[in-house]
Amino acid sequence: MIQIENLVKIYKLNKRKMRELKTDSTTKIAVNGVSLTAVPGQIYGLLGPNGAGKTTTLRCVATLLKPTEGKITVCDHDTVKEGEAVRESICFLTNEIKLDEHFTADYLFDFFGKLHGMSEEEIKARKDELFTVFGINDFKTKKIEELSTGMKQKASIAVSLCHDPKVVIFDEPTSGLDIVTARVVLDYLKVLRERGKTIIVSTHIMSEAEKLCDRVGIIINGKKVIEGTIPEILEATHMPDLEDAFFELFKENNPNYEGGVSNEKQ
Amino acid sequence: MKNSKAFIIMKKELFRVFGDKKMIMSLYIMPAIIVIIVYGLMGKMIGAMESDIEEHVATVTVVNGTDDLKAIMDSSGYKETADVTFLTEDEYRAQKDELENGILEGDNDLVIYLDPDFESKVKDYENGSAVPELDVFYNGTEEYSSQAYYNFSSAVEAGYQSKLLADRFGNLGYLTAFTENVKEIYKEEKANTQFMSMMLPYLIVMMLFAGVMSIGVDAIAGEKERGTLSSMLITPAKRRDIVLGKLVSMAILASISAVVYCIAMVIAIPLMGMDSAGLSSGGFGAVSFGFVQIIELFLNMLVLVYLYVGIVGLLAVLAKDTKAASSMISPVYIVVILFGIMTMFSFGREIPFYRYMIPIYGNALAIKDLVSNELQFINFISSIAGTLVLGIAFTVAITRAFESEKIMFNA
Repeated sequence: MIQIENLVKIYKLNKRKMRELKTDSTTKIAVNGVSLTAVPGQIYGLLGPNGAGKTTTLRCVATLLKPTEGKITVCDHDTVKEGEAVRESICFLTNEIKLDEHFTADYLFDFFGKLHGMSEEEIKARKDELFTVFGINDFKTKKIEELSTGMKQKASIAVSLCHDPKVVIFDEPTSGLDIVTARVVLDYLKVLRERGKTIIVSTHIMSEAEKLCDRVGIIINGKKVIEGTIPEILEATHMPDLEDAFFELFKENNPNYEGGVSNEKQ
Repeated sequence: MKNSKAFIIMKKELFRVFGDKKMIMSLYIMPAIIVIIVYGLMGKMIGAMESDIEEHVATVTVVNGTDDLKAIMDSSGYKETADVTFLTEDEYRAQKDELENGILEGDNDLVIYLDPDFESKVKDYENGSAVPELDVFYNGTEEYSSQAYYNFSSAVEAGYQSKLLADRFGNLGYLTAFTENVKEIYKEEKANTQFMSMMLPYLIVMMLFAGVMSIGVDAIAGEKERGTLSSMLITPAKRRDIVLGKLVSMAILASISAVVYCIAMVIAIPLMGMDSAGLSSGGFGAVSFGFVQIIELFLNMLVLVYLYVGIVGLLAVLAKDTKAASSMISPVYIVVILFGIMTMFSFGREIPFYRYMIPIYGNALAIKDLVSNELQFINFISSIAGTLVLGIAFTVAITRAFESEKIMFNA
């Protein structure tokens, strides 16, 4: 289970970043008071536009960033005080974290399995299962640098899941994937849900969220603006689908929004 | 140990190099081959240049050459190294510009001009009158011309002067107050190792750093840039285990690189000296270490690698990418080279022990003393302690940097 209570993350800006963001402020509030709960056996979808604070929230859950305020617990472990225990329970997949391209998927699976304290037998059994599910056996001895984008993503997912984590955190898992590979990934997330894993997924793709997620939280400008099941969100926004609901919420929270170009300061 | 996370990470870092033939080639084999080829070629070229100069028959013109000068040229064997043309004053005046231009262009090597009354002026010399002059024209920028002048002054000029003085005074013994009887007293091992005690510390401190630099930048800054370091940060491995695994593997890879480089030098230096009389003495063969010295050298190199790994590791962590890391590390490399050069010219002075505590410089001093068998225990300990303390400080700083989200994730 993941519990986020009143998460605030403020970045300090250096002069270069202040220039880039065209702001006089020396800080940027990336996440502002977000609370949410993701429970076992459910897929929680974290939706929001670019720069909304989704990735920052997930990085805080994965212990890579420390919250400025608020508290996060994963499987009852505090992410700040018990970082190692949290990292034992989770897998975190994001585009910014990549597999070392000098190695094969086979080698990296063993390497990360050992770092998670798994025995050789456990590693072999997990590898057989995941490599079969994702169709990696055909290219498991090829270096990552020789693989296509889809193959790399499959390898990344398999390696990240090597230790059979209780909590799965995927940041835009289908980004850049072809429709077939994306389907394999989404189907496996459903399998993980059936196995009682706690899953939190961030995505831009509303249709994907509609099909996949049991609960959805929408973050805009660092704040969670709505949370609930898909029917609950559609009812609250009086919209026919999630995409329209999202745009309605986005416009409400960005009064200066003018048809496709946001002039918000992020 | 086998299951420690630091060990697992270290093994992976080593496998990255040793599991890749191209990496082994580019990191170890090619540099060694290049060193051997370059030094071998240098030796061949220097040897060829030396023998070419020695075998060259110089074109020498002597104006108003006297019988005594001609006789000494014959008896000294000078004519074996030079093709000598004797000119009269009139002939010289007619060709003067041509001869001087010939020296400038390298067609002529040497012109010796004697006054037409040179010998009578020498003979009739009286106290207070002007000393007769022998004019020599040569080109100091041309090897052949310089060698021709050197041969003339050493083989002919001194003998000719003695002959003229003997004629003037009857007995040359009157002009000699005493002669020197020199007996050189020295430690043979020190004499044999002087060249190496100058070169070896410099080479070791420089080569070890170069090894660490080439490996460390990619191992940390490269992984950070590519996002592969983060994949380790989301595992249960402690930051200090990741740092330890990285640093130890870097130290091992850099040490192997230094050893390979040293072996290449051992092979290359004799190759360099083989064809050159000037370079044949004082090679690695002149250095011999006892067991204690080997241990002292090993420990010195070990702490030096540890410090280098700390320096390179910290700068690589602080840098955003490999380019920034390289530009941050380059000034440190220059300082390391400077420390190495400083020890090359510290002969004959008593160096206080606290100077041995200056990291890198103190290690270079200790290695220098080791080669000449003069390393005192207090200086050895000082050199190890100073470097070790700084190395530990850098390791702590790297671990802190790994824990900083601003440094690791630019947050």
